[in-house]
Amino acid sequence: MYIFQVAALLIAFLYYGNAQTSTVAVNPTIELSADGLKQLAAIVAPVFHPSRGSYFSLNLFSGFPEDLEVSDYCVELLAIFGQRYSTYVTCLVSAARPVKVCQNCYGSYDNLMDIYTNISSDQMGPGNVSCRDSLLRSDRLMLVFLLYNNLEDIWTGSECNSCVSLGLHSLTNDTLYFMATLNQSLRCFEKFQQGNHSALCKECKATYRGLNELYSRMEKNRTLCIDIEDSMNMTRRLWSKNFNCSFPRAENVPVIAVSSFMLFLPIIFYLSSFLHSEQKKRKLIHPKRAKSNTSLVNIQDRLS
Amino acid sequence: MANITKKVSWSSRGDESGGGERTPLLNGSEEVRYSRQLSGDGGMFHIGRLSTVDLEEDMTSDEDSVRGCPKEIPHNEKLLSLKYESLDYDNSENQLFLEEERRMSFLGFKCLEISRWVICGLIGFLTGLIACCIDIAVENLAGLKYYVVKQNIEKFTEVGGLSISLILWAVLNSAFVMVGAVIVAFFEPGAAGSGIPQIKCYLNGVKIPRVVRLKTLVVKVCGVICSVAGGLAVGKEGPMIHSGAVVAAGVSQGRSTSLKKDFKIFEYFRRDTEKRDFVSAGAAAGVSAAFGAPVGGVLFSLEEGASFWNQMLTWRIFFASMISTFTLNFFLSIYNNKPGDLSSPGLINFGRFESDSVAYNLYEIPLFIVMGAAGGLLGALFNTLNYWLTIFRIRYVHRPCLQVMEAMLVAAVTATVSFAMIYFSNDCQPLGPDQSEDYPLQLFCADGEYNSMATAFFNTPERSVRSLFHNPPGSYNPLTLSLFTLTYFFLACWTYGLTVSAGVFIPSLLIGAAWGRLFGILLAAITPNGSVWAVPGKYALMGAAAQLGGIVRMTLSLTVIMVEATGNVTYGLPIMLVLLTAKIVGDYFVEGLYDIHIKLQSVPFLHLEAPATSHWLTAREVMGAPVTCFNRIEKVGTIVDVLSNTSTNHNGFPVVVPVAASDDLGKICGLILRSQLIVLLKHKVFVELARSRLTQRKLQLKDFRDAYPRFPPIQSIHVSQDERECMMDLTEFMNPTPYTVPQETSLPRVFKLFRALGLRHLVVVDSENRVVGLVTRKDLARYHLGKHGLEEMQLAQT
Repeated sequence: MYIFQVAALLIAFLYYGNAQTSTVAVNPTIELSADGLKQLAAIVAPVFHPSRGSYFSLNLFSGFPEDLEVSDYCVELLAIFGQRYSTYVTCLVSAARPVKVCQNCYGSYDNLMDIYTNISSDQMGPGNVSCRDSLLRSDRLMLVFLLYNNLEDIWTGSECNSCVSLGLHSLTNDTLYFMATLNQSLRCFEKFQQGNHSALCKECKATYRGLNELYSRMEKNRTLCIDIEDSMNMTRRLWSKNFNCSFPRAENVPVIAVSSFMLFLPIIFYLSSFLHSEQKKRKLIHPKRAKSNTSLVNIQDRLS
Repeated sequence: MANITKKVSWSSRGDESGGGERTPLLNGSEEVRYSRQLSGDGGMFHIGRLSTVDLEEDMTSDEDSVRGCPKEIPHNEKLLSLKYESLDYDNSENQLFLEEERRMSFLGFKCLEISRWVICGLIGFLTGLIACCIDIAVENLAGLKYYVVKQNIEKFTEVGGLSISLILWAVLNSAFVMVGAVIVAFFEPGAAGSGIPQIKCYLNGVKIPRVVRLKTLVVKVCGVICSVAGGLAVGKEGPMIHSGAVVAAGVSQGRSTSLKKDFKIFEYFRRDTEKRDFVSAGAAAGVSAAFGAPVGGVLFSLEEGASFWNQMLTWRIFFASMISTFTLNFFLSIYNNKPGDLSSPGLINFGRFESDSVAYNLYEIPLFIVMGAAGGLLGALFNTLNYWLTIFRIRYVHRPCLQVMEAMLVAAVTATVSFAMIYFSNDCQPLGPDQSEDYPLQLFCADGEYNSMATAFFNTPERSVRSLFHNPPGSYNPLTLSLFTLTYFFLACWTYGLTVSAGVFIPSLLIGAAWGRLFGILLAAITPNGSVWAVPGKYALMGAAAQLGGIVRMTLSLTVIMVEATGNVTYGLPIMLVLLTAKIVGDYFVEGLYDIHIKLQSVPFLHLEAPATSHWLTAREVMGAPVTCFNRIEKVGTIVDVLSNTSTNHNGFPVVVPVAASDDLGKICGLILRSQLIVLLKHKVFVELARSRLTQRKLQLKDFRDAYPRFPPIQSIHVSQDERECMMDLTEFMNPTPYTVPQETSLPRVFKLFRALGLRHLVVVDSENRVVGLVTRKDLARYHLGKHGLEEMQLAQT
């Protein structure tokens, strides 16, 4: 019994330890994703919520010595960061479906990046203060950094860099050209949408194929971003599923015929080699043995 | 393994030669007649455990009737072929050897040790290089083939005429396979198959003709490239093991007999004992290169091959393995334009099982065990089917042109079946962002999707395995997987044993991975929150292990290989359990695939232990008798006659001194081998000549080594009539202390001596040290435990 108790205790301990570590590790991320909006709101509106005022006031007004406070300059930078952040996020949300995050929001991302670069640069602002240390890395949470990092991940994940020209000032020519070709196809689809789809399949095939080829070229050059990929996906789905223009399985008979012919060949082969090839025989050889073996065999013979 | 037992009864020539030939032994007639085996079609008879033996049984009646007409039976598994000889693992400690040892300095022995290491390094390096060549060649050829076929299919999907693509695919496959089959069937039949059974036999001590020749290596490498590129259901891993062994056998000799080039190095290693050690290192290096599993390679050599083992050898073998996988890695990194990046350690790369998906829970262990049992059952089915097919092939498809045709047909049918499967499959999956499919086929799928069946069939088997392991859940639907498993099972079973060089590892893994993944998918579907823990990739891995274990029945080494190939030690326990179960279940029905093929080749293979219930058999019953012996000073004519007697292709001859005039049995004083006698005859070491020419160079051990391993046949040595009358003194050259046993020694004891010491001949003596019989490998290997107790196999000419 004692051993069991000890074991149970140990297991409990282990679990406890696990739980501890996992909460420590997981918490920040959860907080960030779930409460992201709330925090965002907090940043957007620098005025504190009256109902919470009492909690925060305690902390805020207890006051730190002068040299630990965040300088006014940095607070100002933080406010601008907050504004641009919220602008970008609003833009992202509105461009979520169908995906247009690159073409619609590259401007606001550019602005956001500017201000963040400003914050994270180590050159001194007025009053000889660097906001990098005070804003970005003075606490465990590193909220500003986390927030920015999240959006940067979104940007990298959507591969917008391949669609937006360097310096984030405009879309690349490739992208614009693709958009034009895409629109051409879509117009064609619209034109023939009514009535028989087979006409659509025939009429729009050329433009659609041109689009497809352009797309695979861009895929090879790695100049695709999520906007293009998504629009292409949608077009393809339209083409294949809605208009049903993919190739039909029309050649069942020849394929079956050729296959069964091929499958028939080995049967012939094995049958003919069974019938016509002479069977390989082995010549038995009788080893020299002493007498006693013989007797065994004979007895075995008689028994059986 | 030529020995006494080879003497053919209906020949009368043998009676004239040899010392104790005509002596009737043990109050019986000198010939043994097996009346049962001659009448029975299976050619088997059983030895019951009988205590009363009637020695007076008269059996001359049917003896005459069979004399003179050799009985012919169809090939079956219960035969021992005369083709195979034993290797001489026992060192002959004759006077020459002792002299050489005296001459050799302490430094000389140190140098030997160093050169052993050098050789092992070279073995590893060359094996890795060969693996690299195979990999690159297969990749490019198969890539080219799939590219052409893909273009063609895409073209014809649109305009119609897909049956032409089918024919194109089949023809391309057949063409590749034809090249592979022709070189194997016409130039070097020894290169057929995976080569693992042959290496297993070699390490067991059986000399398989031409198995470690350079020609075999060349044919093997080219053959495996062709057969994998030809789209057969085969892998290139098994042949790597054979290739490694050939490299080892070649490098360690410091010369190539085929190329007639002698580098005059490593001469000391020109004998069977040393060569065997290097061959086991080569096999390990092969495994290591094939799977990127150096430890697995060492254990493979240990498990499959080595009856002989010591710590230093292990360490050297490990060195060779490591060098091999490193070399492969290094050259592949250069090929992939990432020099110095050593992250592709094997030919097959299972990919890494990472993150949360690798975790397994306690409650999954029973599931793994169930999978192991399923693997054992399927493996047994595979082996049984392949057994019947192989028998058919040996009996009826034995002409080279037929074999080539068969291989081509299999290739064409493989392409056809694959095409039909892909054509009629409705399983379409969206293209992933990372483009894990190398040749995605769209066919009738919607744009932006690919045919999921094509990832399994329209791909080299290695890649298919990897995508089964690693593609995210949902990449395959259950119907696709079950159809794939079914077809691939039969295709792989049909393919193994063709006259092409190809291994069975990858097809087994692929079959297992397919049904394992299927199992995982079903599990996720039927259990609540199963989709959380039942990751299909994990079950695919376990299925692959189970299927492979069920087919080849390897245990320890396979576990380690799988663990190393996946780079995941966490899976050690489940993989071990799976393999354990697979072996237990499979062994209940039928042996492992390699053992079946060894049996069907009629190889006298010595298993770990003598068959149980054989203790009542004594050396007297087992041995061959009477024995052809030589006197210490023997007439050259007698020796030449004995050696050139084709019906008694003996290899070892006891040297005796006659005891008394009345007795024909001589007292043993040594053992001399055929190869030694031939070298002696070639150099004309006759007593008379030695007297007349005092300055004649003394024969050294080097002269024997130079002739190794292809001693000239006796027919090529000319002995004049005068020389026939000369005498030869064998004292200096014979092994003065051969192993002997008394007549009453039980079979398991004799067996242990053979197995542990690597003997080739064991002299049976009576109480006065007179030679009464000789036990050889075939005398022991013929006993095996059958369904009805102890059975005996027959010798046959193949």
